Amino acid sequence: MQESNQSGKASRRAFLKSMMGTAVASTAALSLDAQARIHAPHELETLKDYEEHWGFCDMCYWRCGLKVRSRDGKAFKIDGNPEHPLNRGVVCGKGNSGIQVAFAPNRLKQPMERTGARGDNKWRPMPWDEALDKVAHELNKVKEKYGPQALVMIGHGTWEKPYHRLAHAFGTPNTTSPVFGLCCGPRGVANMLVAGRELGGNETLDLENCKYFLMMGRNVTESLHNGETLGWIDGVANGAKVTYVDPRYTITASKADEWLSIRPLTDHAFLLALIHVVIKGGLYDTQFVAEYVTGLDELAAKVEQYTPEWQEEITTIPADTVRRIALEMAQKAPAVLVYSPRRLTRSSNDLGTGMSISILNSLFGVWDRNGGIFTPQTFKIPEITLPEFPHAHVTRGETGGDFDFAQKPFATDAEGKIQRADGAGVVGRWPLANAQYGLTNEMWRAMAEQDPYPLKALLTAGGNGFSNSTDYDTIRKALLNMDFYVAADVIPNEMNSYADILLPEASYLERYDDLQTGGMQEGFVALREPAMQPLHDTKGSWDICKALSQRMGLEAWFPHDSIEALLEDRLKKAGLSLAELKEKGVIKIPADPKINFPREHGGKSVFPTPSGKIELIPSQLQALGMADAIEWAEQPRPKDGEFHFTFGRVGFHTHARTQDNIWLNYFMPENLLWIHPDAAVKLGISDGETVEVKDAKGRGGKIAAKVTPRIRPDTVFTVHGFGHWDTRMTTAVGKGLSDSLLASDTREKHIGSISMGMNMVTVTKV
Amino acid sequence: MVAKYVMLADTTRCINCKACEVACRAEWDTPLGYSRDWVKEVEYVNAKGLPEVQLFPGRCQHCDDPPCVEVCPSGASWKREDGIVLVDHAICSGCELCVPACPYEARWLNPVTNTISKCTFCQPRIDKGLQPACVETCVGRALIFGDANDPNSAVSQLLKAKEWQKLVTDEVNIGPNHYYYTAGKAIPDSVMPKLNERHLSGTLMENIVNPLGTLGIGGMMAVFLGAGIKKLIDRRQDVSNKEGSHEQH
Repeated sequence: MQESNQSGKASRRAFLKSMMGTAVASTAALSLDAQARIHAPHELETLKDYEEHWGFCDMCYWRCGLKVRSRDGKAFKIDGNPEHPLNRGVVCGKGNSGIQVAFAPNRLKQPMERTGARGDNKWRPMPWDEALDKVAHELNKVKEKYGPQALVMIGHGTWEKPYHRLAHAFGTPNTTSPVFGLCCGPRGVANMLVAGRELGGNETLDLENCKYFLMMGRNVTESLHNGETLGWIDGVANGAKVTYVDPRYTITASKADEWLSIRPLTDHAFLLALIHVVIKGGLYDTQFVAEYVTGLDELAAKVEQYTPEWQEEITTIPADTVRRIALEMAQKAPAVLVYSPRRLTRSSNDLGTGMSISILNSLFGVWDRNGGIFTPQTFKIPEITLPEFPHAHVTRGETGGDFDFAQKPFATDAEGKIQRADGAGVVGRWPLANAQYGLTNEMWRAMAEQDPYPLKALLTAGGNGFSNSTDYDTIRKALLNMDFYVAADVIPNEMNSYADILLPEASYLERYDDLQTGGMQEGFVALREPAMQPLHDTKGSWDICKALSQRMGLEAWFPHDSIEALLEDRLKKAGLSLAELKEKGVIKIPADPKINFPREHGGKSVFPTPSGKIELIPSQLQALGMADAIEWAEQPRPKDGEFHFTFGRVGFHTHARTQDNIWLNYFMPENLLWIHPDAAVKLGISDGETVEVKDAKGRGGKIAAKVTPRIRPDTVFTVHGFGHWDTRMTTAVGKGLSDSLLASDTREKHIGSISMGMNMVTVTKV
Repeated sequence: MVAKYVMLADTTRCINCKACEVACRAEWDTPLGYSRDWVKEVEYVNAKGLPEVQLFPGRCQHCDDPPCVEVCPSGASWKREDGIVLVDHAICSGCELCVPACPYEARWLNPVTNTISKCTFCQPRIDKGLQPACVETCVGRALIFGDANDPNSAVSQLLKAKEWQKLVTDEVNIGPNHYYYTAGKAIPDSVMPKLNERHLSGTLMENIVNPLGTLGIGGMMAVFLGAGIKKLIDRRQDVSNKEGSHEQH
């Protein structure tokens, strides 16, 4: 068809030309149909040629497999890799917008040195050699003066791994990523304590076959991860009932059978009452409990007081509803899931909330059953051989940058070695906190207060402390305390505006990175390769760290000549090669029902707790004197005229780092304050009007109101990540209000992770 | 048999993640401020007094009786045998008569090419055996595209298996080939097509512009070129204001 059009093209053009001539020359009366409209063959657009390159996404931390299309040496379209278990070929709006990370006009394009005051954004471009020399020199200076532990490294990107290695080689235990202390930590710890298993960064849930989802604020369609979201949608399409528990009516709520508008911070009370009903009513899986579970009687005694009636006043969910849900779930068990939120850093007792979720799932016997929680398979790709790190920090596991709470989660220090400044995994401080990822919130505090020891140098790889850690004063003080701060990133933001040296990272479309390994029903290893040459004078993190290691006498930890050689070395140890991985971008171990769902196939479940069983009263918590974590802890409530302050996500922004992406900013240039019509009427606020939000400390600002019944009357909500003030972010600067200003930064009392939901605000019409 | 291409949108599977919109923008290099496709989020309070949200992914509906083809003075707007409504950019004068003719607001003047842009069901991709970009990327697999004349196609099977609705009203019923599944919920008025005040039907066009069919090609040319020039002038004045006007979708 296209060929015939090609041949028809010349004559059509000639025809058109003659028509134009006729048009000018003639007024002959000819029929409209015959002459005014062109009936020559139409020209059809054809698809231009392109190349494809493999990758995995950097737009959020789920890391979907990608197939990046390039033409004339430039990436132009990001598709999903259909073979990749984390997304099965689909890519969200954020993933599609990765093109505008590479082509962003505001990117960091060359190494720069600060020439003005910190945060003033006055910069001098400099050559790479000079920048790297300076970084090596300044870091070694701090080491000489204060010791290696004075360096803090904070990473927040899918390419942060080499910086962790560099910092460990340098000798500091103080490396941290927000994933634990600011986000998922409490749920991981809870599952580890109860079952010795955690659900992984990639949610090892058999979503397609689940028959009842009790969504505990898990806004799976907007805080979205492609494979998980698609699996959940398939599950719902397959007939699963959905009960959605959240103060806010999200898009996920719109897909649910029932929305329970729970009072903020009270999920734990609701869950305790469910446990009460399940145990009292004998609604649990008796066979599973008999074989695999300890502590039922003790737990029964503890939850005796937590009746559905008791929780009603706390949560505002009717007692009968709790009883009905327990019964409905028991009828569908074990194909049911009490679905944990991802970020469980809200209340003063997130551990209790997380444990209650894990306990309920265990009582319903969902482990290793169809429609429940499966046992993942991991593609074992050994790490390269490295010298031991000279400090007490546990090494990163073979998953190489993936979430791995199973990796010595409660590490203690080795004798005589340096302990972490944030107290993560340190006996007597925050022993429950993961020492691999640390407590980023506590690290900022340690830097601000220079306690327990001087912290004088900072290396950041991505991230924005101002937007993810709350309390600007702490972050600012911490940054100003540094003798030297070097920031590596792709994009500018408020935090890296405080750096002494800026190292521009190549975007994830312009570089190799270390392998992605993961475990779902299939085990897999995936590749990120460049889809184009760097557009600017940038480098990948491995190249930067290798170059720094050579300048700092740390080259033993970066033994390869190139990142490709590193990949080849790792793959060789697993009996694979880079050439093989380049065939499909991913190599997989096929799903195996006998491994994934052993109890469906005559096998046994494995729970690597101290007792080898599910511990409803975790022995490790008892040993730490924290067995009270299961008990309800009173949570703050708004006084008259105040509101709970909540924040969350939309499907097309990630954290605080996509607001300046021009393709995503298009959909939501600024955030709004959601307020219930009843509350709005009282305050005289109409939809779209500007209001001022303030907390008791006087923090806050102005924002436009969205008056909607999709939020409880005692609660306000806004989308996370707005209110940027860095003038380099020309698209996002000055738009909307930062929720980080208003979220609380108190500590979860058992783990030390942040509690962001404890703050109350007032709203006034401007 | 000739194919008849249709698009199905299962709104129960749509999550308004904008993957379809961005995929389309990247695939066809759409200038910022414009989009060939969209997702409309409609929120309302239902009969029980509870909030509800419905999501409607949309694009050109590739109608059986397309007014945009009817009003096009040059013949640039055309419908292929397989049902896809296309614009021939070599002929399109950018006169914009087709823009108000479309009751789905699917057409707009591309300020870069100065021709009309719209969804083509990714004709260059489907001619190569690929899926439309929006369908391939759709996170919820809410969009399903295919040949309704092929009884074995996914769309034929789905059309039989579920109750689908179309965006038609008593006033506007021009045979759209885009189907919607809402699990029985009524489609809100705000999503329904509207006759544009500036819409000139083909008949009107003939009556007003060329009443006796005797004006001839010179006159016709003058009319649509004139319309194009007028539009150019108008656009220069309000292009900055209009930037982002499609955001409401």
